[in-house]
Amino acid sequence: MQLLESTSVELYNPQRKSIMEKLSILTDAAKYDVACTSSGVERAGNGRDMGNCKAAGICHSFSSDGRCISLLKILMSNECVYDCKYCANRRSNDIERATFTPDEICELTINFYKRNYIEGLFLSSGIVNNPSYTMELLYVTLYKLRHEYRFRGYIHVKGIPGADAALIRQTGYLADRMSVNLELPTAESLERLAPNKHRKTILTPMRQIQNGIEQGKNELALYKNAPTFVPAGQSTQMIIGATPESDYQIMSVAEGLYDKFGLKRVFYSAYVGINEDKELPAPQTASPLLREHRLYQADWLLRFYRFRVDELLSEKRPNFNILLDPKCDWALRHLEQFPVEINKADYSMLLRVPGVGVKSAQRICKARRSGVLCFDDLKKMGVVLKRALYFITCGGRMMYNTKLDEDYITRNLLSAQEKLPFDKDGITYKQLSLFDCVGQL
Amino acid sequence: MANETVLICEDSLDGVFTGIYEAYRFKKDNAVESHDLIHLAVKEPSAQRLFTDYINIETSPEKAAKVSRTLKKSLGETTYHNLCLAASATFEEKADAVYHTVVLGLKEHDANVLDRLYDSYVQSAFKCYRAAGNEANHFIEFTRFSELDNGILYAKISAKHHVLPFVMYHFADRLPANNFVIYDEAAQTFGLHPSFKAWYLAQGMNFDENSINYSDTEKEYQELFKRFCSSIAIEERKNLSLQQSLLPLRFRPNMTEFHV
Ligand code: SF4
Repeated sequence: MQLLESTSVELYNPQRKSIMEKLSILTDAAKYDVACTSSGVERAGNGRDMGNCKAAGICHSFSSDGRCISLLKILMSNECVYDCKYCANRRSNDIERATFTPDEICELTINFYKRNYIEGLFLSSGIVNNPSYTMELLYVTLYKLRHEYRFRGYIHVKGIPGADAALIRQTGYLADRMSVNLELPTAESLERLAPNKHRKTILTPMRQIQNGIEQGKNELALYKNAPTFVPAGQSTQMIIGATPESDYQIMSVAEGLYDKFGLKRVFYSAYVGINEDKELPAPQTASPLLREHRLYQADWLLRFYRFRVDELLSEKRPNFNILLDPKCDWALRHLEQFPVEINKADYSMLLRVPGVGVKSAQRICKARRSGVLCFDDLKKMGVVLKRALYFITCGGRMMYNTKLDEDYITRNLLSAQEKLPFDKDGITYKQLSLFDCVGQL
Repeated sequence: MANETVLICEDSLDGVFTGIYEAYRFKKDNAVESHDLIHLAVKEPSAQRLFTDYINIETSPEKAAKVSRTLKKSLGETTYHNLCLAASATFEEKADAVYHTVVLGLKEHDANVLDRLYDSYVQSAFKCYRAAGNEANHFIEFTRFSELDNGILYAKISAKHHVLPFVMYHFADRLPANNFVIYDEAAQTFGLHPSFKAWYLAQGMNFDENSINYSDTEKEYQELFKRFCSSIAIEERKNLSLQQSLLPLRFRPNMTEFHV
């Protein structure tokens, strides 16, 4: 047998699964991981190898739930020695198991990529044997993909908490983005639902990756050809609605991660009931999709609209308004700061006007340098006037004779109806998108 | 009242750029007071206006190249790229919009002329480049290649605007080693990329889609991708109308995952 082990010859195994079977099982097992963006790194082709990366990311398709398909999102294996209560792959579940070989993953990635099905690979895994063993499997796969298959497209890989630091570091040189999942917003919830995981073991690799990114930047400044370490940055995700945290707690955690760990993105995943467990909401409980949507909108406000969590929520108001998006909600509670004169207001104030997005605020700032803007111009720049009109003046005038009154504006905004990404017939707020762009807030 | 002149140019990038060249020359030769009295169009008007002269312009790649060079030099790569996108839109007003935006940009020495959105010509150039740019992005996302038995990758698209060059540019950078072909059915134009060589466009090729032979593994990868797309969806979140607003039906006939 020794000879066989040292070569790549495979023994006959009646349980051997076809690639199609493995792909079904290991895609299905990865689908609750919400991060699927391919953004954050710009890498031109090198004129020889396959692949490049676009900073804005590219979506290649949309699945029937309206989520973007950008990366081949799979698990290496859904074998797992852990027993997280919320997860379908937990040890105590009797489900079909499968494991890809590194070459199978490479072949799939390359063949999907050249047909323009995907932007790259998103590779995660259940814990096979132990964290370091699992991390090594991921490392070997990425190494092959980069060096044998010479793939220059996007790679997002999971950092496995508890794995050997050297392995995480080496893997970081091969990936564009790395993420370690926070899983649940607080340490208590984590202890309760994921007995094998600990807040500290999760934060350690997060910190390590953050330091690696910093150090990588310095190395790059010193040696031009130094390999880049996780150039598209680090992300994480939290499950929403399986545990009792408030929006205020969740957003404060997110803000802390952005501030202290330099994360690129925090993702929120509305809990979908899979397992029957006394610690969990009943499986038939509807997924909190509207709540998840509000969290994404607020997250957007933190990252691009210069808001702080304390401006949006407080101990006294710990949850978002279900009826209004967080930006409108904020504006209505701060009417003393409006109306804003479009031709004069500074950029950060423009960003706070409902109906004005980042792009339109930038366009306004540029255009008004050489001319005076009127309402018609704003419309062409992408401002959503039916929301903005209550909050702005152009050349000192309001668009219509509207009142700056909270009840009056609220009524009008609600009747104009926020465009929610729900099904047309689903007034129940049941359907929601995880699409990366929450659009114009 | 001074007479207005409309120069009618060919509906292509070279056509529009030649038009710009001729408009400047016409202004100089005839000592026309202002560019406002000169317009570009890519089509004969359905009804000719009074006090307006119509002149047909013949496309000249040399004159177009001169204009390209000037624009790149004076307005910068980004603005040049966006003006090209605007000129590739299929809106009738595009030629005039690009021409007068160029006039404004050169007069003001402003590389960011496209930010002057209070100007109505710039507004319409903006509309054109945004529409063409969005469509080019869609094809960068949604184009699907199949592998033929000789290893060539083949894709078919059907574009509203003339965006094939922008799409070719993207894939040439991404797949330098591959021989690939993108066929824009609407414009009956082929984009061809030979392995490690420059890509080019071709028209009038004899081509029968039914005679294509696919590689041995092509079918298998198509099936694998379809399976991937169905397995990745979360049933509890099913939302077909959202899917449709993000991925409009018109793209689907050429997309592998929507073939039954
Ligand atoms: S570690 Fe926990 S969440 Fe991850 S696959 Fe195993 S059981 Fe699931």
